[in-house]
Amino acid sequence: MSAQTPTADTASRGTAARWALAALRPMLALYDARWTLLPPLTGAFMLAMLVGAVIVAPREAIEGEVQRIFYIHVPSAIAAYLCFFVVFVASIALLWTRNLRFDAVARAAASVGVLFTALTLATGAIWGKPIWGVWWAWDARLTSTLVLLLIYAGYLLARSLSERTDVQAARYAAVFAIIGFVDIPIVNLSVRWWRTLHPDPIVTRLPGSQTLPDSMLAVLLLGMVAITLLALWLVALRSEVEQIGVRSDDLRTEIDRREAQRSGAA
Amino acid sequence: MDFLEFLFAGFAVFWAGLFVYLLWLQARLRSVQREVQRLEERLAEAEAEGEEAEKDEAQ
Repeated sequence: MSAQTPTADTASRGTAARWALAALRPMLALYDARWTLLPPLTGAFMLAMLVGAVIVAPREAIEGEVQRIFYIHVPSAIAAYLCFFVVFVASIALLWTRNLRFDAVARAAASVGVLFTALTLATGAIWGKPIWGVWWAWDARLTSTLVLLLIYAGYLLARSLSERTDVQAARYAAVFAIIGFVDIPIVNLSVRWWRTLHPDPIVTRLPGSQTLPDSMLAVLLLGMVAITLLALWLVALRSEVEQIGVRSDDLRTEIDRREAQRSGAA
Repeated sequence: MDFLEFLFAGFAVFWAGLFVYLLWLQARLRSVQREVQRLEERLAEAEAEGEEAEKDEAQ
C-alpha cells in the first residue's frame, strides 16, 4: 500500500476537481440556461409528442386507439427512474460532502419522481381497465412500482418532518433514498423474473420477442425526450423552491440569534 | 373496440396531474419568496435598531 502525503493528496484532489469541472462544463451551461432554454424547448417537445401520439402514430391493430396511452405511460416511467437516479447521486454526494445543497436537489428530484410514478400508475390503470378488465392487479411490475412510489413518498414525508437545516436528518434520509433505489432494477427486471400480466419490454427487446414498428418507436422516443425535458425543468423549479426555503431558514436563525444577543445584553 | 373514453381519460389525468403540480409549485415559490422578503425586512429593522442602541450607549 502506498501512503500519500497530505500535500500530494490535496494536489491530486485538486486535479480531479478540475477534470470533473471541465467534464461538467456543458451540463453547467445547460443548468445556467434552465430558465431561458428549458421552458420553450419543453413546450415544443410536449406539443410534438401530443401530435405524434394522437395523430401521427398508427392505430394499434389489437388494442385499438387506447394503446396511445403507451406514449405517455412509458416516458413517465422513464422520467421517474431518471428522477430517482438524481436522488441516488445527490444522496451519495450529500453523505460525501455534507453539503445541504445536495439534500435540496434530492428532495426536489424525489418530489418530481413521485409525481411521474403516480402518473405512470394512473395511466397504466386507465389502460388496464379496457385491456385486462381490471383497474389494478397485484402483478409483479405494478406492485414493485407501487412500492417504489411508497418508498419515495415515505422519504419525502420523513424529510418534511425534520428541519431543512438538520444535517443528521438529511443524512438518514439520504441512506434511506440510496437503499430505496434498489427497487428500480427490481421494477425493471420484474417482467423477466416473474410471470406477469404487464407487457414485455419494447425498446430493450428480448431475443424472439415482438418488435415495435419504427413509426411507433419514433413517437415513443419523442415522448421520452419531451417528458425527460419536462422532468428536468420541474426538478430545477422545485430545487429553486428548496434553495429559497433554505435561505428563509438561515434568515430566521440569524434574526433569532440577534434577538437573543440583544435580550442578553439588556 | 377503441375505448376512446379511456384514451381521453388517460391523457386528461396526465395533463391535469402536471397542471395541478405546476400550480402547487408556483404557489410554494411565491410563498417562500414572500417569506424571504419579510424576513430580510425584519433583519434590516433589527440591524437598524441594534445600531441605534449602540449609538445611545456611546452617548
